[in-house]
Amino acid sequence: MFIDFLLQVFSDNRDKEAIIWRDQAFSYEWLSKRVRYWLNEIEKSEIESGHVVMIEADFSPESVAIFLALTELGGIVVPLTKSVEAKKDEFIETAMGQWLLQVDVDDNASCQRLSGNPEHKCYAQLRNQGNPGLVLFSSGTTGKSKAAVHDLAKLLEKFKTPRHALRGISFLLYDHIGGVNTLLYMLANGGCIVTLENRQPDYVLSAIERHSVELLPTSPTFINLILLSEAYRRYDISCLKTVTYGTEPMPESTLLRFNSLFPHIRLLQTYGLSELGILRSKSKESSSLWMKIGGEGFDTRIVDNMLEIKAHSAMLGYLNAPSPFTEDGWFITGDMVETDGEYIKVLGRKSEIINVGGQKVYPAEVESVLQTISGVAEAEVFGEPNALLGHVVCAKIRVADGIELDKKLLKRTIKRLCSEKLQSFQIPAKITFDQGEQFSARFKKQRNIG
Amino acid sequence: MQRAALLAIVESVVDELNELKSEQEKIQFSEDTSLYGQSSPLDSVDLVNLLLAVEEQLEDEHDISFTIANEKAMSMRNSPFKTVSTLIDYLMSELN
Repeated sequence: MFIDFLLQVFSDNRDKEAIIWRDQAFSYEWLSKRVRYWLNEIEKSEIESGHVVMIEADFSPESVAIFLALTELGGIVVPLTKSVEAKKDEFIETAMGQWLLQVDVDDNASCQRLSGNPEHKCYAQLRNQGNPGLVLFSSGTTGKSKAAVHDLAKLLEKFKTPRHALRGISFLLYDHIGGVNTLLYMLANGGCIVTLENRQPDYVLSAIERHSVELLPTSPTFINLILLSEAYRRYDISCLKTVTYGTEPMPESTLLRFNSLFPHIRLLQTYGLSELGILRSKSKESSSLWMKIGGEGFDTRIVDNMLEIKAHSAMLGYLNAPSPFTEDGWFITGDMVETDGEYIKVLGRKSEIINVGGQKVYPAEVESVLQTISGVAEAEVFGEPNALLGHVVCAKIRVADGIELDKKLLKRTIKRLCSEKLQSFQIPAKITFDQGEQFSARFKKQRNIG
Repeated sequence: MQRAALLAIVESVVDELNELKSEQEKIQFSEDTSLYGQSSPLDSVDLVNLLLAVEEQLEDEHDISFTIANEKAMSMRNSPFKTVSTLIDYLMSELN
């Protein structure tokens, strides 16, 4: 019932490739059969509609088939990936999981019963309507991960509008709203999902070349890594037509550099949240951070320079936090934006603004300048308390490989180059060097909140 | 620490700040140079940068870890950040 429209697409495209896994192609006919196999297996098992099922997996033929079968049977699906290994027990406890379905690296599935006894008003709402659910955990960079409960039947609605069939990389993770969005988009349009064994720039670009990939949905951090690694010199990625980026502010310098190297690739900014799903968006140009967002099922408004969104497909609520919605259903995103007519530009999270003597500094703006400086591989900007100004701007720099480090000289160069492009209060007052990578398993910049 | 050594640190830090300034904005260095207030060539961001750079040199070259703009300094009746000379007096008394 819930996935009928997908099964129709599968049958219309039966000979086409649905999933590439370990360089092996699996057709829509295969996927269709496999979904039916799992429907049958699950029906024979003790798993019932409304049960909370953790699926520990990465994108693979079986994990996709199982996800769809559970959806069809009205299960409440909680995807988990290796990236949250350390929080697995916490997530199982928060979700009150009843079953743990594991799909191992060789794509073999196994199932065990858990002790969860899931009672929550969000779960009750799903069960009353007989709808399948999806629980997604926020990355929790600024505290505890929040568990957002979605009505999967509602989330599927927007994929019923036919769009282009594309060959795309499943870069964003299986347990992330962006990853789920990529998966459903591809399947709903008879596209092909090219799965990854790792997320190293060289490996990803070689997969793009080998499998004629047209779409890479990714994050600004990964685009920066492609540029740094110069992996693009080693592979022919002329097949790539579109790169989408979201999840964090894009440094303008990174965008412009990628755009000048690949003028034929369309760069599209996306906007989405675990709580709301992914909005439709349109960048003004490939080289522009300005975008229009919204689309069917989403209303947007800006209150005190902050973006608020009302979504038809919004989550029902959190399992472990109070409802973040206003009384009339608006979600306060925490993202500060600038507007120009219909277009908006995301400046950064309100919580990340550094207040220097009453002046606001957005880390992304400073990072964008720092990343243009030769010798700088990555830059993380954050605030630190200061008795005179409230806060000062600090920068942690990862120096590019193979650069001989004269700290003093590099600091002076950084300050001089920053002074050409930034106001004095925006220039990092403290600069430190650290060779550790500055991004999370979700390829998102990690910032200290000062 | 010797007064002369501290003076040398502050002077080198002022030189660094001057690298980022236009000809008209450059800070003339002397013991009487005012660091704060109307008559000062430094604005509050300059002052903070100056203090942080002095802290950094103390740490890097003399292995002294000290936050100059601390609660005590901020609440002193005679602000230690009035001139180069008062800053050095303050550092002498705190560090020695």
